[in-house]
Amino acid sequence: MNDGVRVAARHLGMHFSLRGADLVALDDVNLQVRDREFCCIVGPSGCGKSTFLRILAGLERQTSGELHVEVRDPANPLTAMVFQEQSIFPWMTVEENVGYGLRMRGVHASVRKRVVDHYLEKVGLAHFARAYPHQMSGGMKQRASVARAFATDPEILLMDEPFASVDEQTRALLQEELLRVWESDRKTVVYITHSIDEALVLGDRVIVMSARPGRVKAEIEVTLPRPRSVYELKSTPAFSELVARVWEPLRREVLASYGALGQAS
Amino acid sequence: MTVKVQTARARRLGRARIGGVAAERLISVGSPVLLLLVWEALGRLGLVDVRFFPPPSAIAGTFATLVASGELLDQTRISLGRVIIGFLIGAVPGVVLGLVMGMSRIVRAALNPMVGALYPIPKSAILPLLLLIFGIGEPSKYAIVASGVFFLVLLNTIAGVLSIEPVYLDVGRNFGASRLQAFWTIALPGALPLVFTGLRLAWGIALILIVVGEMFASQSGLGYFINNMYQTFQVEKMYAGLIVMSVIGYVSFLILDELQRWLVPWRGDRAV
Repeated sequence: MNDGVRVAARHLGMHFSLRGADLVALDDVNLQVRDREFCCIVGPSGCGKSTFLRILAGLERQTSGELHVEVRDPANPLTAMVFQEQSIFPWMTVEENVGYGLRMRGVHASVRKRVVDHYLEKVGLAHFARAYPHQMSGGMKQRASVARAFATDPEILLMDEPFASVDEQTRALLQEELLRVWESDRKTVVYITHSIDEALVLGDRVIVMSARPGRVKAEIEVTLPRPRSVYELKSTPAFSELVARVWEPLRREVLASYGALGQAS
Repeated sequence: MTVKVQTARARRLGRARIGGVAAERLISVGSPVLLLLVWEALGRLGLVDVRFFPPPSAIAGTFATLVASGELLDQTRISLGRVIIGFLIGAVPGVVLGLVMGMSRIVRAALNPMVGALYPIPKSAILPLLLLIFGIGEPSKYAIVASGVFFLVLLNTIAGVLSIEPVYLDVGRNFGASRLQAFWTIALPGALPLVFTGLRLAWGIALILIVVGEMFASQSGLGYFINNMYQTFQVEKMYAGLIVMSVIGYVSFLILDELQRWLVPWRGDRAV
């Protein structure tokens, strides 16, 4: 494997068989994620980007091709995922949730407490350590979910549209916080989103995927300097130019996915 | 001007609501008292047959005598002991097997036909069979209670596990939980709200079954006592037994509610 490459997918394919029909979710996906890179994948709905992430997370197995992840520290878990839907356990307090991955790996309670407190502080939930999720807003739950993933110190951090279901103001706030946490840790991140703005605000590189079957359509380097401010960034000419560059290949794929829908109905 | 009118109106509505709550409480306390008074009056006036409906004052007197002599407490202790032991014998395996069946498709497929066939049999109908197997002693009482409790707890626990959002199991796998860890940290707590529904239903059934068991196959316990008082035509004592059953039912459900609040704190204040 090339130096500095953490994740390499080669000819990755995923077929589902759904009531006799063969469904191709991913077809010949080739991509690489570099060490300490924040890599965003955008694509139209149903392009298989979530499937790709689930394969990476070990929740599904590809039907063809190879996926290689370079492990730097075998003591760490390979991946930790921030899920799109509400995935914080309702039966655990916030601190129990954030410490879950550490507990599953047998990390001693005192060490766990220190790590959990550190990340609760970072995502602004220190005062809610003992609260149950039903007492919190959707944005707070996703903060806890982000803290839970960071706390396990994974080789690769996976995020599947983590802020898709919160309102726009909260989303901008959560993006700012994520950037702050990430910029101090610099983990390798694979981030799925359908928002071009979000991909550009967060990412070092944006990978555009095609409509089903999912393939890599384009790759755009995001040259915007860090640290970034979500609000200021969006009004710069460089940002607008990048939006246009991502939108161009994506537009055709979105239209293609509408076409496929039209045929299906 | 408009504002003034509105605030006055709001105040009137507020007062009406507070008055409403107090009135409701008064009615809730007053209606049973009124019923007892009417019952008493009808009995004394000879308008109802006091052989079947002895006046509440007479029942209260008998009740006090029975409590003082210790007879009622002894029978109550015997019945409570049986129902609690039977309940535990049924509920613990019900929860454990329910969790296993909920988590494993294969175990579910293997056991579902048996559960489906055995669950619908009214448990009072298998009392003769249980008497044949366990004899007239204590074990047959435990068995009838346990048989009723087991299936209700089992089915609700399976439903509880199946109702867990798949994403929680994904979290468990992604964060490296072993099967056993997933069992304790996800399946059990995730199923707990429905497990509790099962336990409440099962407790109600257990109280019915212990009385049935004692009426037909025992020389002790509240079921025996009530039946025996009926057969010897001591109707006031029979009513005393019924009062105890009512109190047991009421208090035990309060305890279950409290237990649920304590064991399922993440549900907020939503009592079933």
